[in-house]
Amino acid sequence: MKEVIKVQAIKKTYNAESIPVHALRGVDLSIQQGEFTALVGPSGSGKTTLLNIIGGLDAATEGSVLIDQQNISQLTDSQLIDFRKEHIGFVFQAYNLIPVLTAKENVEFVMLLQGKSQAERDARVKDLLGAVGLSEQIDRRPNQLSGGQQQRVAVARALASKPKFVLADEPTANLDSKSTADLLDIMAKLNREENITFLFSTHDQRVIDRAQRIVTLEDGAIISDEQNAIGS
Amino acid sequence: MIFKIAWRNIWRSKLRSFTVMGSVIIGVWSLSFMLAFFAGFIEAYVSSAIENDLSHIQLHHPDFKKDKEVQYRLKDIEAIEKQVTSLDAVKAYTVRSLNNGMLATATGSRGVQIRGVLPEKEAAITNLDQKITTGVYFDATQKRNPILVSKRLAEKLNLSLKSKVVLTFQQANGALTSAAFKIIGLYQTGNAIFENLNVYIRQEDLSRLMGETAMIHELALLLNKKDAIEATQHYLSQHNDSTQVLVENYQQISPDVNLYESQMSVATYIMIVIIMLALIFGIINTMLMAVLERTRELGMLMAVGMNRSKVFLMIILETILLGVIAAPIGLVLGFLTNAYFGSYGIDLSSYSEGMEKFGLSDVVYTHMQTADYLLIMIAVAITAILGALYPAFKAIRLKPVEAIRKI
Ligand SMILES: Nc1ncnc2c1ncn2[C@@H]1O[C@H](COP(=O)(O)OP(=O)(O)OP(=O)(O)O)[C@@H](O)[C@H]1O
Ligand SMILES: [Mg+2]
Repeated sequence: MKEVIKVQAIKKTYNAESIPVHALRGVDLSIQQGEFTALVGPSGSGKTTLLNIIGGLDAATEGSVLIDQQNISQLTDSQLIDFRKEHIGFVFQAYNLIPVLTAKENVEFVMLLQGKSQAERDARVKDLLGAVGLSEQIDRRPNQLSGGQQQRVAVARALASKPKFVLADEPTANLDSKSTADLLDIMAKLNREENITFLFSTHDQRVIDRAQRIVTLEDGAIISDEQNAIGS
Repeated sequence: MIFKIAWRNIWRSKLRSFTVMGSVIIGVWSLSFMLAFFAGFIEAYVSSAIENDLSHIQLHHPDFKKDKEVQYRLKDIEAIEKQVTSLDAVKAYTVRSLNNGMLATATGSRGVQIRGVLPEKEAAITNLDQKITTGVYFDATQKRNPILVSKRLAEKLNLSLKSKVVLTFQQANGALTSAAFKIIGLYQTGNAIFENLNVYIRQEDLSRLMGETAMIHELALLLNKKDAIEATQHYLSQHNDSTQVLVENYQQISPDVNLYESQMSVATYIMIVIIMLALIFGIINTMLMAVLERTRELGMLMAVGMNRSKVFLMIILETILLGVIAAPIGLVLGFLTNAYFGSYGIDLSSYSEGMEKFGLSDVVYTHMQTADYLLIMIAVAITAILGALYPAFKAIRLKPVEAIRKI
């Protein structure tokens, strides 16, 4: 097994000068290639903060993050943008897509930033939108898609760059239960069949139940980390 | 793709885009109209100055300009006339006797410049015959001492046709002489300063009264083309003794024409800058709104790997595209407006009371050079880019994590 994420003694303190908020108080976490992990915990426990630090969107106050052995804590802002483009897939809770682009163009976009050829882009867009069950909707704009369809496009987009893993911060928070189940089916299938590594945060018990591994945060610290036998 | 996104983005908020485009259109339109109006204004002023007073080139004794003394005359006038008639570029010329004197009426007197003219030649140079609003121009039937004064001066001095006035002036030998003249016509050029000062009599009358055959102080010539001024001036300077003959073009004769021309172009540039500033602030305002509205989206783009220079480029491109659509529309409108007023003219007669004092005519024909349209295009391009810079900087300074937090 290959370790794709290694979080070492991460601390994150907001407003260090005025009223310090200790969002993370020393977190260690290791994610292996192919894992399907849920990050859970009460509101304000630090889930978003941790995902942002792992994704290179935010800097830790202390500690380091290694992605595939590379310490990203040392990268500059613009190096981080490039690093995210090449190695990390993101699915946010909402506003994942560029409203003026179609589903196809949204998925293609990251590959264009990467400088992939037209042929490669076309093939991959077709595969990915097929995989998320949206072959019929490739020319629709986000406002012509349901919330669940939009999140599926976001998953396809996140995978387009062939990232080392996908980070998803409450990807189902805005979805009804049917769409939630569909999205989880797709993510689980991609995990199973393509060995895609997913790390997602959630409040939703039905989503938690689908995870293979459940990491629980409370007040900025990991209080439990267990395998989930009933996970998909 | 960035181009595609930028292009589609500008149609997202139609109202906002139309606001930006509308202001660019109005800006370009008003700029092209104003440039053309000013150019037409200057041209009208300059050509009226040339036509009424200055001609293209004038020759004087070098000292005449300083002291308008009768002794400073053009001595070898026949030789000069021969040179002038030999030149192809010359359309018409005339010679004048000038004398500063006093015009007295029953009620008062005032200083005037007496212009002793050759009626036919003068008419060819200044169209004086067509500027008679009351009475008649000089002709062969008139007996002794007819005089033309301006309508303006006549009103001031309470004179009318057939009024008698007495002119007092210096003779060639320095003695003063007086003679009675009868008003046969009132002229009007539109230039108040000129009209208040100048009266016309026939050269033969002036010469006779001054006791000399002809004392020529001024030779004025009109050319077929303005372009020929420099060469003609050069030729005449070369062929005459510079201690006796000074050859000047209209700009040198009347530095205020020159000043006026340059002040007008300063005014033009000020206008351009004002309109550009207004446009810049309009663009900054709307594009900033566009950026702030899209905070989350821009944060997402940077999160998934769109680097800052591409985001920057996208915002600039959106603004440029708006300008690229709008500027030609404004230019076409400006061009049509200028073409219309270029042939029909803009009647300023309701303001011309004030205008005439500056020697301006009533109707201004807009006139625009291609170079000016180019200037406007460049000005607008610079404006659009300047206006986009701040919003674009704002956009790239967004921290993706903060932008995304808002999700
Ligand atoms: N930019 C910030 N400035 C100050 N404090 C912050 C900031 N972002 C987060 N926090 C604080 O850090 C702590 C952890 O926040 P975080 O968003 O990571 O929690 P979370 O587990 O994602 O919560 P939720 O389930 O509500 O999304 C909270 O107390 C929060 O108020
Ligand atoms: Mg959160």
